[in-house]
Amino acid sequence: MADAAPPSKSRDLDKLLLRPGNLVGPTFDPGVQLRDDLQEYARVLVVGAGGLGCELLKDLALSGFKNLEVIDMDRIEVTNLNRQFLFRLEDVGKPKAEVAAKRVMERVSGVNIVPHFCRIEDKDIEFYNDFNIIALGLDSIEARSYINAVACSFLEYDSDDNPREETMKPMVDGGTEGFKGHARVIVPGVTPCFECTIWLFPPQVKFPLCTLAETPRNAAHCIEYAHLIKWDEVHSGQAFDPDNPDHMKWVYDEAVKRAELFGIPGVTYSLTQGVVKNIIPAIASTNAIISAACTLETLKIASGCSKTLSNYLTYNGVEGLHTKVTEFVKDKDCLVCGPGVLIELDTTVTLKKFIDMLEEDPKVLMTKASITYHGKNLYMQAPPVLEEMTRSNLELPLYDLMDKIPKDVLHATGTINKDDKKSSGLRKLRVVFKGIDGVTDMDMAGGA
Amino acid sequence: MIRLFKVKEKQRELAENANGGSPIKKQSAGELRLHKDISELNLPKSCSMSFPNGKDDLMNFEVSIRPDEGYYFGGTFLFSFQVSPIYPHEAPKVKCKTKVYHPNIDLEGNVCLNILREDWKPVLNINTVIYGLYHLFTEPNSEDPLNHDAAAVLRDNPKMFESNVKRAMYGGYVGQTYFPRCM
Amino acid sequence: MAEPKTKYDRQLRIWGEQGQAALEKASICLLNCGPTGSETLKNLVLGGVGSITIVDGSKVEFGDLGNNFMVDDSSLGQSKAKCVCSFLQELNDAVKAKFIEEYPEALIDTNPSFFSQFTLVVATQLVEESMVKLDRICRQENVMLIFARSYGLSGLVRISVKEHTVIESKPDHFLDDLRLNNPWPELRGFAEAIDLNVQDPVAHKHIPYVVILVKMADEWRTSHGGTLPSTREQKREFKELLKARMAATDEDNYKEAIDASFKLFAPQGISLDLQQIINDSCAEVGSSSSDFWVMVAALKEFIANEGGGEVPLEGSIPDMTSSTEHYVNLQKIYQAKSEADYLVLEDRVRNILKKIGRDPYSIPKATIKSFSKNARKLKVCRYRSIEDEYNNPSPAELQKYLTDEDYSIAVGFYILLRAVDRYAANFNHFPGQFDGGLDEDISRLKTTAVSLLNDLGCSGLTLTEDLINEMCRFGAAELHAVAAIIGGIASQEVIKV
Repeated sequence: MADAAPPSKSRDLDKLLLRPGNLVGPTFDPGVQLRDDLQEYARVLVVGAGGLGCELLKDLALSGFKNLEVIDMDRIEVTNLNRQFLFRLEDVGKPKAEVAAKRVMERVSGVNIVPHFCRIEDKDIEFYNDFNIIALGLDSIEARSYINAVACSFLEYDSDDNPREETMKPMVDGGTEGFKGHARVIVPGVTPCFECTIWLFPPQVKFPLCTLAETPRNAAHCIEYAHLIKWDEVHSGQAFDPDNPDHMKWVYDEAVKRAELFGIPGVTYSLTQGVVKNIIPAIASTNAIISAACTLETLKIASGCSKTLSNYLTYNGVEGLHTKVTEFVKDKDCLVCGPGVLIELDTTVTLKKFIDMLEEDPKVLMTKASITYHGKNLYMQAPPVLEEMTRSNLELPLYDLMDKIPKDVLHATGTINKDDKKSSGLRKLRVVFKGIDGVTDMDMAGGA
Repeated sequence: MIRLFKVKEKQRELAENANGGSPIKKQSAGELRLHKDISELNLPKSCSMSFPNGKDDLMNFEVSIRPDEGYYFGGTFLFSFQVSPIYPHEAPKVKCKTKVYHPNIDLEGNVCLNILREDWKPVLNINTVIYGLYHLFTEPNSEDPLNHDAAAVLRDNPKMFESNVKRAMYGGYVGQTYFPRCM
Repeated sequence: MAEPKTKYDRQLRIWGEQGQAALEKASICLLNCGPTGSETLKNLVLGGVGSITIVDGSKVEFGDLGNNFMVDDSSLGQSKAKCVCSFLQELNDAVKAKFIEEYPEALIDTNPSFFSQFTLVVATQLVEESMVKLDRICRQENVMLIFARSYGLSGLVRISVKEHTVIESKPDHFLDDLRLNNPWPELRGFAEAIDLNVQDPVAHKHIPYVVILVKMADEWRTSHGGTLPSTREQKREFKELLKARMAATDEDNYKEAIDASFKLFAPQGISLDLQQIINDSCAEVGSSSSDFWVMVAALKEFIANEGGGEVPLEGSIPDMTSSTEHYVNLQKIYQAKSEADYLVLEDRVRNILKKIGRDPYSIPKATIKSFSKNARKLKVCRYRSIEDEYNNPSPAELQKYLTDEDYSIAVGFYILLRAVDRYAANFNHFPGQFDGGLDEDISRLKTTAVSLLNDLGCSGLTLTEDLINEMCRFGAAELHAVAAIIGGIASQEVIKV
């Protein structure tokens, strides 16, 4: 077939980005400019360079993105090789982020990937603000919760409590377990954030300690006994390290002894590792599916070339194949992504005065408020030891306590009196100080 | 959103932004919830708290319990609490720092309290946990033993259990085990 | 040499050593190694499939560099099959990888017997005509076949296997095989030896719920003419009875008994699905029957005789509050019964094999044992042929889904994916494949789709303009991310069959 057009590396992608369509996002503006802008201006951070992260990097590099960075604190292990396809046996022990970035750049010319071999908490917040989209390939709730909090912290609301689009930091999040997985889109302020729906994650099963000590019934009980009770008894002071093979072997041997004592079958080394490290089974194909779905969403958010997922996709390949898209709703009072209550103050207002004001403010109506500001406890009503430690702040101006920052968020907890009913509550408050440079341009006229 | 990205990227290239409003430290949702729990604590007189890392680290604290009745009357027992950033999705980790002769607390300080493990639910809070610990002292139970010997004595010979507890609290041996004084 | 096992640790936790062994024996043929095919194979090579053979006649073009990770700048102008093959080999040297530089369509026409050497063929980006031909060949040769196709933002995966039988189906939620409502003598004996009214509170709260339910069921039977609770009212009453027996409010074993009482109320005997399998005509076995159906025939006999309407016992019990001693003994009773049932079944399998003139020991013990333990979970999947799908559509079903809001888009794409093939057969290119003449392509595709719908017996229905437009916009593009999804799904299905 003769093709008149000059050869283009983005032959297939061009069809999607250069042509108009009907089933597209509201801001879709097809053309060469769009393709080039994606390459030049879209900066995507991939968090995690494991099973999902490797796939995400490859998929993004082949979906028109050229400015990528990846962050991961782990080194490559042998058990990664059945799915983390960017790694080889000779890479074992090297940082995942660095090897992954190198391999993708070798294969796909023109793509630039900056690796960061460190913990996500090691980077300051501004590091994350440099990216337009954050793609999450993580396996822990803690890490997701952290990145979510960071991304949501950039979000600002206007005086009508509408989220400001230019402060939104969209995330796409994937997760897999065996043949199952999920992909979701989080646009803070628009779709529910991770914290709005944290209940989606089932709590981990924990055995009662007395069962472990007295009435073990299965292999996992014997293993957990060795891990949680026996270890401390024998190695007082030395912390158990799940990555130390000697430690693992010790737990395994103890579990075997205990299982023999009680006539319980089934303790194996593999199960010991599974129980102690809470290993989630993982296969290449599921990671591929979920990552590619996340990549498509990233492309759709950035380019508008098709309507974005709203907002949570589950994939289940255990029996047959089932996918389902659920539109979860935001928790409007979410402490992480919600707008909170806007409060205007003079710079002279003391903390005590502020706490009194919260009782009267019709949108707050909170008595006995305790106040915390970015991890600093400004005032605590209880327990007495903390009340004492924070009491001296009461007479200081709140503006000074907030390091003279003209507008920022703080949190209050206390008793909320609404409709003659008392309940305990936690509120996010957006405090704006009047008459400070830099806030005058904010439209306060429409405020409450 | 590419148009927005473009604008932002250009701003980024032009200059370091002048906005000083970005926060220094991130407070996790778990920390906020813990802040609420702690500011609403309503402890019995027999319990007190301390924060070894100062007023701004609520994630690690200690609770001391002085039971005002029962076998353990007169003793002081110290517990350490470690709270995870995804609290209350996950229960706080609690250890007993005082070596105690108790059917539900082993010699390493592990505590067998259902709400700390299998029965933890996000609606529970720090207050419930502290009350749960307090009850372990007023009503130790021999049916969920972690210290097997102590449980057996409590079940079979409550008088002897009582004297063992006293001996341990005054500082002394019960069987082969030495207990430092905690009165 | 712990390395291979460690390497596959995370997947062995899903499909076990047996599943891994099957995968390592499989030889797989890939037709066309664009991104869809490359990504499918990537996932299989990583998992440790036995061998792969890549068939593709094309050379690497500039555009391939933008959608396929298994080629790079140095591949330009070279055989695509060769380049993809060598990059895939890098992922896992335990896999035997080879390539054949030839167009699949030509191979299908000229050398149909070529396909008989494989366990499974993954056919990507084939058009209808070749699909029908290849399907016919594979069915004849008993080779499994999976079609995968990426097309713009749409795609499909179609499995075509005459019959696929599964012993270890590993379903997510499956009722434990406890036989609470039909205890065998040993289980009943064990329960009878335990006193529910024991005074010691520690002993009382450590009676396993299995015992509680078996005993309470007997009690109920004596006062209810030998029947178990059946109405909602009776079930509630039974649970109240359980609650009344609690010695303290925190007795977890009784709470578990109340929660598990539905297991007691469940009907006895085998499920409808299994009924269907044992009544299948294939269960009338002859010398050419597969091992699976021979075992089904034996199972049928077992159910009618020793089983008394039940299958062999699975033999495992879930964790439950209990003293260690009771739990371990209970476990032994279940295991012993399971072992005894298996031995009976094995005997019947050997006899049947003899009867049909096969070596009575031609089915290994381990297979029969696994069959015996998983008898409740057997699965038989049959896929109709592509030819049958095309020639005998079910208009009622198509109509139903086309007008159902939740499915109309998916079915719309299914029809359009077929329409574009028909279009390509007529016009020698796909709609929207080239930049010029898009409007003409749209109206032609619309006509094609209407006539296809007619042929499918859905003449009254139309597809939306938006969907047809969208399909032309796609212009047969093979996007990497879509290919990775389709390839991922295809490889998941390969592993499952």
